[in-house]
Amino acid sequence: MKGNGIQGISGAVRWLLQAVSGLLLIALLGVHMIANHYIAAGGLRTYEEVVAYLSHPVVLAWEVIFLIIVTFHAVLGVRSVLYDLGPSPHTQQWIDRLVGLAGIGAVLYGLWLLWAIT
Amino acid sequence: MLQETRALHPVRRRGWKGWFAVRKRHLGYVAFALNRLTGLGLVLYLIIHLVVLSMLARGPETWDAFIELAKSPAFLLLDVILLAGILFHGLNGLRVILVGLGIGVHRHKELFWGLMLLAAILFIFGAWGFLVV
Repeated sequence: MKGNGIQGISGAVRWLLQAVSGLLLIALLGVHMIANHYIAAGGLRTYEEVVAYLSHPVVLAWEVIFLIIVTFHAVLGVRSVLYDLGPSPHTQQWIDRLVGLAGIGAVLYGLWLLWAIT
Repeated sequence: MLQETRALHPVRRRGWKGWFAVRKRHLGYVAFALNRLTGLGLVLYLIIHLVVLSMLARGPETWDAFIELAKSPAFLLLDVILLAGILFHGLNGLRVILVGLGIGVHRHKELFWGLMLLAAILFIFGAWGFLVV
């Protein structure tokens, strides 16, 4: 188990993390889709409706967890796809840094957006 | 068990061309390639979705104007394509997890087609909800 961060995690643990986050996403995304595209009148929420929807603490917590888990799952997935290209160990380190930064950036941006709306 | 199923996994370290090495149309290869493609498509959608949601920060006029545009048939068609990608990726991913944990290893084809049947049923109801309701 060499390297830091995500490279320091064994392949089996990464597989398990991807599997667990994927299972969580089935529930998180399922509720997100039903709430935002099927329950909402007309399939989409107006600005006022979005603010009212996110004002509920459980809904807000659900969306925050969804944001974190979907980003985590996407980051691991993109990393796996890029590793399939057969990069050198040096390039692998850069891939890990870039996808990690992109993931952290996406979560921070999403949190800021939720804060700005609510 | 995990190591055993990993050894059966169709991944070949042959670069991106390996994704499309659909040898003799073997189901495992096709499912793997489609899982990669739908995964990349969903990542692209996630990025676009986050960018679009920035309109919420610009206030109600900007967002509500976009919502009217998003109700157009072209946008609804994109939603239907998104739904297909989510259902395939999610339910095929469920199969990968089950097989990876040693569940249904010897009946993975039946598992795949069973989950794809479920995906098709959910797609019909979901697309109907997008386009008709």
